Amino acid sequence: MRVTDLTLGLLTLLGGIAIYISAIEFQAIPGQAYGAGTMPRAVALVTGLTGLFMIVKAVMEGERLPGLNLADWTQSPAAIARLVSVLVLIVAYIALSPVLGFLPTAVAVMTIGMLILRVRWWIAVIIALVAAIAIQQSFGRLLLVPLPRSDFLSFLW
Amino acid sequence: MSTVIDAAQLVFQPYVLLVILCSAAFGMFVGAIPGLTATMATALLVPVTFFMDPVPAIATIVTATAMAIFAGDIPGTMLRMPGTPASAAYVQDAYALTKQGRPEAALGASLVFSSIGGIFGTLVLITASPVLAEIALKFSSFEYFWLVVLGLSCAVFISPGSPARGLVALFIGLFAATIGLENPAGAPRYTMGSVELMGGVQFIPAMIGLFAVSEVIRTFIKRGEEVRPPATPGKGIFRQQAKNLVTYPVQALRGSAMGTAIGALPGAGADIAAWISFAISKKFSKTPEKFGTGHVEGLVEAGASNNAAMSGAWIPALVFGIPGDSITAIVIGVLYIKGINPGPMVFITQPQMIYAVFIVFLLANLIMLPLGWLAIKGARQVLSIPQKVLMPVILMFCMVGSFAINNSAFGIGIMLVFGVIGFLMEENDIPIAPAILGLVLGPMLEQNFVTSMIKSDGSFIAFFERPIAAGLGLFTIAVWMIPLLLLLLRRRPPAGVSEP
Repeated sequence: MRVTDLTLGLLTLLGGIAIYISAIEFQAIPGQAYGAGTMPRAVALVTGLTGLFMIVKAVMEGERLPGLNLADWTQSPAAIARLVSVLVLIVAYIALSPVLGFLPTAVAVMTIGMLILRVRWWIAVIIALVAAIAIQQSFGRLLLVPLPRSDFLSFLW
Repeated sequence: MSTVIDAAQLVFQPYVLLVILCSAAFGMFVGAIPGLTATMATALLVPVTFFMDPVPAIATIVTATAMAIFAGDIPGTMLRMPGTPASAAYVQDAYALTKQGRPEAALGASLVFSSIGGIFGTLVLITASPVLAEIALKFSSFEYFWLVVLGLSCAVFISPGSPARGLVALFIGLFAATIGLENPAGAPRYTMGSVELMGGVQFIPAMIGLFAVSEVIRTFIKRGEEVRPPATPGKGIFRQQAKNLVTYPVQALRGSAMGTAIGALPGAGADIAAWISFAISKKFSKTPEKFGTGHVEGLVEAGASNNAAMSGAWIPALVFGIPGDSITAIVIGVLYIKGINPGPMVFITQPQMIYAVFIVFLLANLIMLPLGWLAIKGARQVLSIPQKVLMPVILMFCMVGSFAINNSAFGIGIMLVFGVIGFLMEENDIPIAPAILGLVLGPMLEQNFVTSMIKSDGSFIAFFERPIAAGLGLFTIAVWMIPLLLLLLRRRPPAGVSEP
């Protein structure tokens, strides 16, 4: 999934304009001409110039819109589903670990992750359990990171 | 002398030595797994170093990265799958030796000359850093401004792919660096009312996202890769190396020197050093036709170069606080967390800490020889671990590591966002290194730019009034102008040829 120089140039130019507009309201240091808006405005200016340069160069090279070359994997719904599954697993961990605790959530997330990658279920469960306990022991007990606790395997805490 | 003794006392403690040993094993493991880079090893280690004293924390990163850069050669040699990008330059020669039934010849050369390159780079680091630090003490905001701009410019032009896409990456990093309250006016920027964003984008979760999570996403899309059974190296890993040292002394020296110089250049790291050194080796070789057919000459030079670059990258990081590559960009974050502000003053206020870093570097490059030998022997087992098992576990490490920075799920959110950004960037051939340098150097650039503008009352001429600032400024402008001029010259049709 590769955007062409023309499309990326347009996106970059729009990004530069958006940053510039958003930076107008930032305050200066009292009594000075410079302040919180100086850097974002400078970044916006060079971003916009880069976008313009990319557009001009792409047009001179005969590039036309639409400019998106889709990678092979984007044609496969299963591959897209697997991509989304990584994001869902992360969001699920954020949402569920405070409720269920670290160990059950971690075991579930890793097991599901391995099942998606077609690891045999019993191997996935064993590895997920061992890895979750190793992480809980190293981070939770040794490094005293307050991982979300639960009753599941509570003797380990 | 007492400083060196103090530094040695900080390093030669059972706990620190144990940490060095464990991180060496970790670095070997990560480097030996194709797809997992030395930078990823560093990013994954940061949450662990968070709970250590400064010396073991730095020792962890130095040792793991040195090992990972070497260990990347193992799958490259045995499977033709370079473990880290730094090993990709000479993978064809290394694998050709394996096909000839001599993997030990490639791995031995890689191990010994990696160690030599690393030690050479460290010696340069030891001798050059204090001298440069004395010069850096005279720097004002103008010199620092140009130095940062030069570093960012080099990162853009040296990174693989088109400079325009490198610039886009840089602006992503610089924009992310503007988020939060950390600005000259202390005003909230792009925080969207979030209290947690007022502290800015947390650097470590962003790193973990850009490097590790993006790789996890890629593996999920490809559904893991089939691992072929690797060839087993025979005996005599070290046997050939004395002969190689006698045959290729110039190549070893040139690779080490070139690697150190490229590493010291802000923005360039071991990957670029290895490619350039391999190309130089072929250019000056008496037998360039043998390159790619299992010839050890390029391997000697590029192998020395990539480890030397790792040490060289620490020169600007320690002296100016400007990272030489992605790894030292992460290291600077760790140093700040540990209360050590990299820059010339650290050589005066905490010299024992600097000498401890030097000792750790030497130890890491020496310990590489026995541990590398063990890693080569055990490589078959490590390489047999399928990615489909490894990646979900790495994802969990990423989440716990990101959580551990502030004991908050917000870090995992940052990791997720930057993981997606990193994935999209790499899908679009937008290099990640300039984005990281932008994120790290953004606050320094802003501070020095705004301070300089206030001091000069808005006059840009003041940026060229001091001699070193003028030199750095002109050099930076040259870095920008030369590629543009070359582009224009290439576009102009040769004399006598009319345009169609």
